[in-house]
Amino acid sequence: MPDEITITIDGQEVKTEPGKMVLEAAIDAGIYIPYLCYHPGMKPFGACRTCVVSVVDGRGTPASCTLPVQDGMIINNNVPEVNELRKSIIEMMIAEHPNGCLTCHRIDICGPGDVCLRHVSVNDRCITCPKNERCEFKDTVRYLGMELESHLDYKYKEIPLEIKDPFYDRDYNLCITCGRCVRVCEEIRGDSAITFVERGGRALVGTSFGSSLLESGCEFCGACLDVCPVGALVERENKWEKPREIKKTICTQCPVGCQMNFELNEFGRMIRVVPELDSPVNHGQACFRGKFGLDFVNSTSRIRHPMIRKDGKLTKVSWEEALKLISDKLNVCSKEDFTLLAAKDSTNEELYIWQKLVRMQMRTNNIDQSTNIHPELTDNLQKMIGMGSATGSIWDISKSECVLVFNANITEQQNVISLPIKKAIKSGAKLIVIDVREVELTRHSDVWIRPRPGSENMVLLGIMKLMLDNDLIDIPKLRDSIKNIDELCLYVQNLDLSQICSTTEVDESDLLSVAQLLTQSDTASIIYSLDTISRTISNDVVANLTNLTLITDNINTIGSGIYPMRYGANEQGAQDVGCMPNRLPGGSFVKDKTASETLKHKWGMEISSKPGIPVRDLGASVSNGSIKTMMIIGDLPVESDDSVRFLANQLQELDFLVVQDSFETQLTDIADVVLPRLTFAEKSGTLTNIERRVQKFSEVMPVKNNEAKSEIWVASELAKLWSLDGFNFANESAVMDEISEVCNIYEGISYEILDKNVKLVFRSGYDTPKPTQELYASYESNGMQWPAAGTANPYGSSQLFSPGIETDFCAYVPNVNANEVNDCNTADLLLVQGRVLFSSNNSMKIIEESDQNYIHRPDVFELNVSSAKKLFINEGDKITVTTSNQKMNGTVKINEKIPSGVLSTTSLFGELAIELQNSENINPMSDVPGLKVLAANIDKRK
Amino acid sequence: MVVETDSFKKISAQAQEKWNHLNQGELPWIRIGTALCGEAAGSKQIFNSISNCLEALGIQANVSEVGCIGLCFAEPLLDIQMPGGNRVFYNNVSEDNLKDIIQSHIIDNQIPNKHVFLYSGDIVLEGVTKLEDHPMKSKELRISLRNAGNIDPYDIDQYISNGGYYALNRALFELDPESTLNEVKESGLRGRGGAAFATGVKWSFLASNPAKDKYILCNCEEGDPGAFNDKGILESDPHTVVEGIALAGYATNSNRGYIFIRHGHDGPIERAKTAVKQAYEKGLLGTNILGTDFSFDLEVALTGDSYVAGEETALMEAIEGKRAMPRYRPPFPAQVGVFGKPTNINNVKTLSYIPEIVRKGGQWFSEIGYEQSKGTAILCLSGSLNRTGMIEVPMGLNLKDILFDLAGGIPEGRNLKLVQTGGPLGGVLNADNIDLILDYESFRNAGAILGSGGIIAADERTCIVDLTRSLIAFCQYESCGKCFPCRMGMSHLLEVLERICDLEGTEEDLDLMRSIGENMQAGSLCGHGQLGFNPVASAIKYFSEEFNQHIIGHTCLTKVCNKKRFSPKRTRR
Repeated sequence: MPDEITITIDGQEVKTEPGKMVLEAAIDAGIYIPYLCYHPGMKPFGACRTCVVSVVDGRGTPASCTLPVQDGMIINNNVPEVNELRKSIIEMMIAEHPNGCLTCHRIDICGPGDVCLRHVSVNDRCITCPKNERCEFKDTVRYLGMELESHLDYKYKEIPLEIKDPFYDRDYNLCITCGRCVRVCEEIRGDSAITFVERGGRALVGTSFGSSLLESGCEFCGACLDVCPVGALVERENKWEKPREIKKTICTQCPVGCQMNFELNEFGRMIRVVPELDSPVNHGQACFRGKFGLDFVNSTSRIRHPMIRKDGKLTKVSWEEALKLISDKLNVCSKEDFTLLAAKDSTNEELYIWQKLVRMQMRTNNIDQSTNIHPELTDNLQKMIGMGSATGSIWDISKSECVLVFNANITEQQNVISLPIKKAIKSGAKLIVIDVREVELTRHSDVWIRPRPGSENMVLLGIMKLMLDNDLIDIPKLRDSIKNIDELCLYVQNLDLSQICSTTEVDESDLLSVAQLLTQSDTASIIYSLDTISRTISNDVVANLTNLTLITDNINTIGSGIYPMRYGANEQGAQDVGCMPNRLPGGSFVKDKTASETLKHKWGMEISSKPGIPVRDLGASVSNGSIKTMMIIGDLPVESDDSVRFLANQLQELDFLVVQDSFETQLTDIADVVLPRLTFAEKSGTLTNIERRVQKFSEVMPVKNNEAKSEIWVASELAKLWSLDGFNFANESAVMDEISEVCNIYEGISYEILDKNVKLVFRSGYDTPKPTQELYASYESNGMQWPAAGTANPYGSSQLFSPGIETDFCAYVPNVNANEVNDCNTADLLLVQGRVLFSSNNSMKIIEESDQNYIHRPDVFELNVSSAKKLFINEGDKITVTTSNQKMNGTVKINEKIPSGVLSTTSLFGELAIELQNSENINPMSDVPGLKVLAANIDKRK
Repeated sequence: MVVETDSFKKISAQAQEKWNHLNQGELPWIRIGTALCGEAAGSKQIFNSISNCLEALGIQANVSEVGCIGLCFAEPLLDIQMPGGNRVFYNNVSEDNLKDIIQSHIIDNQIPNKHVFLYSGDIVLEGVTKLEDHPMKSKELRISLRNAGNIDPYDIDQYISNGGYYALNRALFELDPESTLNEVKESGLRGRGGAAFATGVKWSFLASNPAKDKYILCNCEEGDPGAFNDKGILESDPHTVVEGIALAGYATNSNRGYIFIRHGHDGPIERAKTAVKQAYEKGLLGTNILGTDFSFDLEVALTGDSYVAGEETALMEAIEGKRAMPRYRPPFPAQVGVFGKPTNINNVKTLSYIPEIVRKGGQWFSEIGYEQSKGTAILCLSGSLNRTGMIEVPMGLNLKDILFDLAGGIPEGRNLKLVQTGGPLGGVLNADNIDLILDYESFRNAGAILGSGGIIAADERTCIVDLTRSLIAFCQYESCGKCFPCRMGMSHLLEVLERICDLEGTEEDLDLMRSIGENMQAGSLCGHGQLGFNPVASAIKYFSEEFNQHIIGHTCLTKVCNKKRFSPKRTRR
């Protein structure tokens, strides 16, 4: 087959490639063919038949979305006979879709605020449609120039509105049953929460058995709303508001770095968020956090000016006074006692300038980022492969043949990364989940290993042992590229498999199938986090995951790699620019002499080689008095980890606390100085996402009635007060220039080049109807994936390592007996929390309170027979479970898959959605409770 | 001539012995048709009563359930064969006369003439027709239905002893896949679905695909009102289908198959499942069939009640567990079919011919039939006819032969008004078409479809508008709702027809229907929408005067219209 073929559409020659459909070729070439059910990024469906065309010498009028291109094909698109067919199909549609917006005689003269003059029944009025003026269907009707006199009877469907579920309003009277929502839910999201119901003329979209979205397995990602061409599916918030302006930004709820379009109204308020279709990161997708969790940018209850605590009360002061106080206090305090916590959504520039300020003025490495609660996450990875970051790109995971997800709750924490995983599964990849918790991805898994909490490391060793015992890996081949591999093999071979299986309570057959899947797949991605891994084994776990990646040779091809899952939006950036207590700018460890020498040379100042105190240990340091002064940017994510909660409770002990935040929080209640902070929507800078992609964003909302200043300005002003050199930056771009100079991995990255790595998106006709997402996609902004300099592509490399490149990999050999590292929690009983999208439990009920759906679902606690015997309980017993912070009642269920001493329970995603929607918190999504493993006690109830 | 390997020899010898014991043994053999037609007439209860009767009378006899012999109007049909091989058939047997019949026939050795319907064998019964001479049987040529009504569909041995699985054995040991395929090509067999595409050519698309996993699907969705031959074959002789599928698998180098049956067709489901199980037990399915390298797995899959699930790509969706909605083509099933693998799909009737074609050779089959339509037509006769039933006749007879000679014409001396063929989408023919020859081309030229083989006759009491309305109501209700023209077009057509039935139609309504229909035809995704206007188009073509009476004269001469009628409450939401 030729690589390039030419077809002719309405006399215009179009170059395209084999495998494309005519409609896609037309869109690429800027030719508009009307369509309603097709949506870019999804497989064609062929339902709406508005894209019919006629082919010269072809039969009939095929739909162009499902018509494969053939060389020399001659297509007639904008010709009367085709348009007549389109019109008559649409005419039937109009006979059941409220159409006052098209037929009312006052369309052109009706001003805003005019009262409808009763020519149109209430249901059909344009103003009762939330998508009025941004409706793809209406645009298409108008484009076709239809005669709206019809012989067909019009019927309103009279379907009650579905407005009781969180976040969504569904009005199926407006639905045209194009199936985009059903398909995006199934094909892209892998959820299938909605489906087609009934058939014939009554066919419609709905949930199975008409259940609420809470029960149907909806993860409230909003993908269906984004693709809906009509007003059937809309966001409840600001439902009736019309956008006046669209601006692109980056979501800061998690480290994926999704590009988002903000719809702004005439007052510059954000009314809706639509994920960017042409983003290399999220491909038009978002999640509940991004779609419904960014409302806080509109909040008016902001901190508006600097404040100092005087006589126990926060009092408004000028910036000069506040900064003077801070500089004085920090000047006199002991420098060792100080620590600074940057925010999870601080930009690279801000993080860089903060760490530079702390290192130069306070001469300590006491600098961290508040979400960096598992500092071990990349330490060993970096020691073993030279870089502490994901080796591949997010969407390359979809090309994997095998995916291993280790202790990571991706669907909730880094949602969009679950999409390439599900895409890979759809194309036949195997999914392995190693997690004692039941998370959303476990239902897609081929193998789900539930090790006893604390024994996760041994599971990894057991897998490696089985690989060696069964000759699944070619050690001699790896000898050249991996140092220490023989030592590792020797260590692993000496392990006792039966002991591993009994300690971890995992069947050998399960371990063997993981070993086989990982070795027999050409490409495998290992995705991990340390959500519930205890800190004593964290380093070994990361090392062994890296060992697994190395010995299965899954490091340098597309579709393979190792991916550490972080929490904060710019945690990768914090590590890269040195805003961590054990890292220097460039990501090197502070103990690395060469790196600190280089830095000393560049900054003209000695750098302490003593690692600072990480955020996880700060609580203890405050309580024992070794930290007395602190500056915190943003809020503390107390839900993420108990150590952070502990820190938050200790802060009163501090001598001096400075907080810079946008909103009043518990921290501002006790702070001595409070500084106003810009939200991410009001500032510009770069963020580095989980795949090392540096993405630039700019302010999308004006700063109103607020004295908030950028963090760069604050740091520079403080530096001025301390007469420090090297903080005189003209703008963010200048900071990035210094970053790229100081951090070798950022070499070659600058605002200038970031602005250049943009591709204009050619879309069919400027003024033709389009899906909302396509309408907003004006250009493709790719950012840059470090390393950029010295690689084949000046815009960065999607793979950290490519085949043939000189590498310096080193296997890690644990230096103690594996069993000694095995830190089985000393508690007798551990409550393991999980969260699932839907529950097969029949006793689940939906109750309505104040027009809102709630889930009523009895808790079920699962444990195995031996644990049940020990606790003298039986299946069906009613028990009360008590943990450090809550009490739960539920019923016992015996499940042999659960390790001893573990009490497993799940909650529903729908419950979380209700909780988030009703939260009083200004930014509830930032505190989505993690799924934890907690010590628990139980009592039997009568 | 047939080379029997050891394993098959053993199997067939066993079967033959069992058959001889049954057929030429010392005991009477009582057979009763419990296919759908029999079951509807109550034969299941009679089957249960037979053993009670025998016990009460102290008689020892073999009792078998058999399928449909074709004389559905005569069900429940009791067939008593005494040692010696003479068979006597009793029609419309009821629980009341069952005991009398058994007693006088078996104990008294007096054939009760007043109940007798037909007989076969060496005896002569005064005033009773011989089975072979019965008008409904006399013109029959049974290939696919060769065993129907004669053997127990639950017993694989009865099938084997009647020549079953010889074809598979022959193919495996005498022919290679290619020559098996050539036999089918040579036979000229065309798909008995609707499109009448040459089966051998269709198979060759799949055979040429080098993929490892390939599927053969057998379609028994059969949702057409008035069609019951797919079900009938599966109920009467499921093994001929199982063998046909295995042969299709062999000819195309495929390794998996599904028999897809509509949920609710309990008889076919039960019998097909039993047949597959038995074939596995005999080593005629599964890995290394009859000791050869050929392996083939077969499963029975079900769907919910959905007419469109019979469309080939919708059927694949249904097998995959999805909502039965057609896919777009290309890619065609031979490239991307069920579970994304290359697939061939045929319906029950088509596959049921394969064993005989492979056994007797394609040449033999190609000599039967008429012009381009080879072989036989399996027809379901229903409606206003004296004799309804399932018959298999060579292609080339005409409708008059079928309706008057075989089916005995219209009851009570009424006149034939119209014939509805090939399911609701096939449209109607008026009585002027009575000489229409039974082959694909003639039917196509007349604007009808032979399709599923359902032939419904209607007399002058039928109102054409009402009939069209009910056909469209069916099509509307059964549209899957995926593509816009079909989903909405059907609803609008039905609304217009209901209006005309209410005698409130206007003169524009015919044009309106025509324009809706044309758009459905041009715009729809699958055959359901593309052919969906056929019933209306053909009705208007042949009975325009009657439409005009409704629209202009506001009268319905048959007095059917403007009465309370069954119809979905709302055709649209």
